[in-house]
Amino acid sequence: MNPPGFTPAGFLNGIRVLDLGSHISAPFCARLLADYGADVIKVESPAGDVARRVGPFAGGLPHREKSVVFLYINTNKRGVTLDLATQTGKNLLAGLIKSSDILVQNLSPAEAESLGLTYGELADINPRLVATSITPFGSTGPYRDLAATDIVTCALSGLMYHSGDSDREPLRNALDQSFYIAGINAAVATLAAIFQRIITVQGQQVDVSVAECLASHLVQPVPYYNYMGAIKGRRPVRGSGFEELMPARDGYVTPSVQGSQSWSTVAELIGLEELQDKRFATGAGRIEHGEELRDLLTQGLAQWDRKPLFQASGEHRLVFGMAQDSQDLYDCPHLRDREFFVEVDHPVAGKAEYPVGGPRLSHGVYQVYRAAPLLGQHNQEIYCGELGYAKEDLVRLREMNVI
Amino acid sequence: MTDLPLSNIRVLDMSRVFAMPYAGAYLADLGAEVLKVESCQVQFMDTTRTLNGPYPENDPGEQYWERGGTYQTLNRGKRSLTLDFRSDDALKIVKSLVSLSDIVLENFTPRVMRRFGLDYPNLKAVKPDLIMVSNTGYGHSGPWSEFGAMASALESTHGTGAFMGYLEPGPGGQLEPGDVPNKIGHSYTDFLASWTAQLAVMAALIHRAKTGQGVWVDLAMYQVGVSYIGEGMLDYAFNGRTNPGLASRRIGNRHRFMSPHGCYPCRGEDQWVTLAVRDDSEWEGFCQALGRPELAVDRRFALPLDRHRHQDQLDEIITAWTSTHESYHVMESMQLRGVPAAPVVNARQLLADPHFRQRGFFEAVDHSNDPCSENPGLGRKEYVGRGWKMAAADIKIRAGAPTLGEANGYVLGGLLGLDQEETQRLHQQGIIGTKPVGGSVPGSTPLADQVELGWIAGYDSQYDQSSGLGGSK
Repeated sequence: MNPPGFTPAGFLNGIRVLDLGSHISAPFCARLLADYGADVIKVESPAGDVARRVGPFAGGLPHREKSVVFLYINTNKRGVTLDLATQTGKNLLAGLIKSSDILVQNLSPAEAESLGLTYGELADINPRLVATSITPFGSTGPYRDLAATDIVTCALSGLMYHSGDSDREPLRNALDQSFYIAGINAAVATLAAIFQRIITVQGQQVDVSVAECLASHLVQPVPYYNYMGAIKGRRPVRGSGFEELMPARDGYVTPSVQGSQSWSTVAELIGLEELQDKRFATGAGRIEHGEELRDLLTQGLAQWDRKPLFQASGEHRLVFGMAQDSQDLYDCPHLRDREFFVEVDHPVAGKAEYPVGGPRLSHGVYQVYRAAPLLGQHNQEIYCGELGYAKEDLVRLREMNVI
Repeated sequence: MTDLPLSNIRVLDMSRVFAMPYAGAYLADLGAEVLKVESCQVQFMDTTRTLNGPYPENDPGEQYWERGGTYQTLNRGKRSLTLDFRSDDALKIVKSLVSLSDIVLENFTPRVMRRFGLDYPNLKAVKPDLIMVSNTGYGHSGPWSEFGAMASALESTHGTGAFMGYLEPGPGGQLEPGDVPNKIGHSYTDFLASWTAQLAVMAALIHRAKTGQGVWVDLAMYQVGVSYIGEGMLDYAFNGRTNPGLASRRIGNRHRFMSPHGCYPCRGEDQWVTLAVRDDSEWEGFCQALGRPELAVDRRFALPLDRHRHQDQLDEIITAWTSTHESYHVMESMQLRGVPAAPVVNARQLLADPHFRQRGFFEAVDHSNDPCSENPGLGRKEYVGRGWKMAAADIKIRAGAPTLGEANGYVLGGLLGLDQEETQRLHQQGIIGTKPVGGSVPGSTPLADQVELGWIAGYDSQYDQSSGLGGSK
């Protein structure tokens, strides 16, 4: 991690983003832009982003600077506080909007209206602004104002229907995936608008629907229905086929016949003589003798630990997977070789290795160069240093509970 | 509204399967000219053309390679150039074409592009400001870089299964966090990679406009996947295994602090509703919606921590009620009182849902009007659109997917200026073509048998093919 204050050379240098988001979706969008070099100012209410109250916390006990999801989602940003419900707060925000290129938020449509954050009002302040909103179902349509959480948008997008086992209820995804998916889709559309602005010199509104982002994953189930009336469901009961998680000696693995190799290579790798039976040599045969195959596979896989099997499959040009947890991933020699982890030192939460999510670039920087901001950490730097308020003003604003 | 964000951008899409082709499709929606560069040899052809289907009326037809619904979704709005990369002529053509293009998308294992001399250093030599995305399972460096990968095996490898799984009955019969990892499924990791590629391309275009510099993007799906469980990673980094939060992540459809929170059976086969109660006022509304106002004053459920402790009992009460109602009805009664709730919809219900229809989420393609298609008998079909709308740009699916090699003449004659004789020679030598070489019409398994095999959950013999809406037209 570079020293505080260091601004890296990045693709989005010179682009300023106001992150008025809370929890994950809009803040994740803003972080992706920050990772590519945008100057992101996170604007929080004086009480702070709700993510600060969401566990788990570094060290185990609640602390507003120690929520791991907050620490992860808000790297590379500067942070200010601002009460948007007050007129003074609105004036301060207008000052920030004038010098910004992007504003992203995930308020409900009603909240955004009551705070004066509709596109029309924002464009009056800065017509070049790209204003991106992320809402559960979008800013129009009959479900616009429905109450929603992660599980609810996953359900009403079709994503969840296909997750889990066919003989049980649909299963929720891991760790609020819907918000991350919406965040990165928002970042894509926002940058498309910034690129278009080079020609048009005008900003625009970008309306992101979490449920629609998830529904856009259904590139198989939707044509299954409107091409032939078939309903794609959840996966068959565990172990009944290939490409499913199956038990190995120390955990789960995903054997697969995909890739350039024949069945005999798979059978040879797993190492059980009976798997070489020619009844299993073709896809049709493996389906016909599925139950027998499953039993033999289970028997064969029980002789293997996950990691040696995965390694051997890769060396045989087979495409296996294995179930890994956080510890496996931190220990992964491949991720280490790719320098995937970066140590970040946060003044309150302390040091930890963060996963650096983005692709590797031939040039330009995709890095963690700043830990998540403390609540109001950059109030003075931004309000005094950039908007020209005096230090005494800062004191008054604090006393009025605006910042 | 005439100009689109990517109006003047040309993309060479040499990619296959899901992740990168879908990125190419989005670039086409945004206005780019996207040339799908592909082989006529079935063994090298995009498997979405040859294996995935689904086909109209479950009939692959003679032109099966043009008719797959997943192929159509992932390749809409592109043009198709065929080239057999095993010939030097083809490699020369690709390089000339790269010099006229802005973006290259590919997802070969690293050794393949190097062998063809089409890796970034070679392509940069002919197009210095090229933006190139190379998507692989594990990236172009590191001990696993030559390992093949696919999303369905990668998903658990990059850790989602550590945080996803059903509850299982414990020794005393009460439900406890389970040990068995599960999957989001339907190639989840492919979509993470697709969004990541799109973002990298947009950022690189902005950078190139400012500086004139191109970039190579080494995208590793494994790494991208891990970055989507950052919360779980950091929990481990800060707290190791001592934090109870980590141990209790396979909690089915429950939530760490909301309760009730779950997925409950409704009237009808495989019908479900999800709901979440975030605070005490929603709990009160919830009890009213359930028609059980007395629960709101029941001491077992009085406060969030009480409800959390008695989730098994709560779930029984809720299941008894939801089982007798339709999922959309449960949503309405809950939402009327401000409680988050929604049905778990399948594709049929999603296609018919009034909100998605009113928002225009599904976009229709009239394949008989396709400018770059010989009408492979698809008629009018609707496809999933994008999760976002830009107010000042008319982003949409512009056309169906291209038929094999339909743009050979346009690209070789029009863009590269080869004469007809030369093009004919390439055709005769099998370097370009418009028909698959090798392979055979894929078999078609009757839908009833597919249900039996667990490949599909069910089917409607009566459905509206154009919108996909259930029932008769």
